[in-house]
Amino acid sequence: MIEATDVRKAFGKAVVLDGVNLTVQPGEVVSILGSSGSGKSTLIRCINGLERLDGGKIKVDGFDVSVPGQLAEARKRSGTVFQLFNLYPHMTALGNITLVPMEVLKKPRAQAEAEGRALLASVGLADRADAYPAQLSGGQRQRVGICRALAMQPRYLLLDEVTSALDPEMTAEVLAILAKLAEQGTTMLFVTHEIEFARQISNRVVFLEKGTLLVDLPTKQFFDPAGGLAQPRVAQFLSKMRKTENP
Amino acid sequence: MRYADFTPYDLVLLLQGLGVTVGLFLATSLIGILVGTAWAIVRFYRVPVLTPAITFLAELLKNSPVLVQLFLVFFGFPAFFHLNVTPVEAATITLSANTAAFVYVIAVAAIESVGRDQIEAARVFGLTRWQVLRHIIGAQAAAFSAGPLVALMVNQLQVTSLISVIGVMDLAKIGANLNMRTLKPFIVWTVVGILYYLAAKLVATIGARVENHLRSHSAFRGL
Repeated sequence: MIEATDVRKAFGKAVVLDGVNLTVQPGEVVSILGSSGSGKSTLIRCINGLERLDGGKIKVDGFDVSVPGQLAEARKRSGTVFQLFNLYPHMTALGNITLVPMEVLKKPRAQAEAEGRALLASVGLADRADAYPAQLSGGQRQRVGICRALAMQPRYLLLDEVTSALDPEMTAEVLAILAKLAEQGTTMLFVTHEIEFARQISNRVVFLEKGTLLVDLPTKQFFDPAGGLAQPRVAQFLSKMRKTENP
Repeated sequence: MRYADFTPYDLVLLLQGLGVTVGLFLATSLIGILVGTAWAIVRFYRVPVLTPAITFLAELLKNSPVLVQLFLVFFGFPAFFHLNVTPVEAATITLSANTAAFVYVIAVAAIESVGRDQIEAARVFGLTRWQVLRHIIGAQAAAFSAGPLVALMVNQLQVTSLISVIGVMDLAKIGANLNMRTLKPFIVWTVVGILYYLAAKLVATIGARVENHLRSHSAFRGL
């Protein structure tokens, strides 16, 4: 379980997270919506320990990310997929995936590579194992990024706008894989601008606005005129996003 | 035959001088690269006290002439530390330290050239600082620094000629002796120049090969 309690984070005078409470249960797919600058990415970066909290607590399976001794355990339980892929350019697709299992879990190379190849095959990249990131398309890179996160068999997958840097075709490639993962019961915390997709795969949708959780509802209720849409800010955001999705 | 004529043995002397030059160059480059890289790693770990001390030392070494450093070591060590140093020892200490200072600058820039995003991706998956340095930063920093490092090496090869002033029998010193004996500066210094040129060219060629190898992951081959 990921538990965020009264999380506060400011960069200088800019308050980015202002008392966020969020719980993600194993097996849940939770989408985080909100406009740019609402704190979505920062929340993810607080959960995986890339940003230090200014207040509140985040626990991953009981391990407090603010306690140095517990951060490593918390990080082992979650895998992050980044908006801009953040692959290691000097390593092949397979090398990107096997590095951490070999270094952190001390898996033998043969085993790590067999598992890596199986992961690549599952995202349709079996034949690209030896390609360097520069030789892959954006969609392919992000699929490698997903494999890299999955290689550690994380309990929670943290996805930070993973399709924002991709064109619609490549976005579809990546979303198909995420849908498959959701079907298999992978727990996901999913920052996205893909409203329709969020609606299809998530159990719950939360809406962040200026660093606070404005809405936290099961998906169906979130998109219900009497539920989440009753919030004027949510309705306004969704109508704007729909316009850009179907101009 | 007059004493001022060239003899076949002069060629042997010149080659011996070239051997001393190349030998000192290789030894001081190796020491300089190891020490400079070690300093950069100390800085990467932000070791207190040691990091500012290294930065200060590197600044001193970078911003003063090698010749001055050479005299300070050769005459200063015996005077202040009661350590007698031979010309070769003084040359080794000075050139190694000087190379280390420049390697330090290159290595620091190379480490910092590796994107923060990659380091975050590595930390998030639980790699330690050392594992990040070794697997993520190391290879890319090496590729980044290869070009500047080769340029530095070519320059340091020429700088070794300064050590002739404290009596090391390197290529420049042999050249100076030959010149004094034969009084044919244009011939002597042309030959000496060609030998330096060939040695430098060899360093640059090997360096370019290594650089290409290190950059093999990049699909971009230049315009």
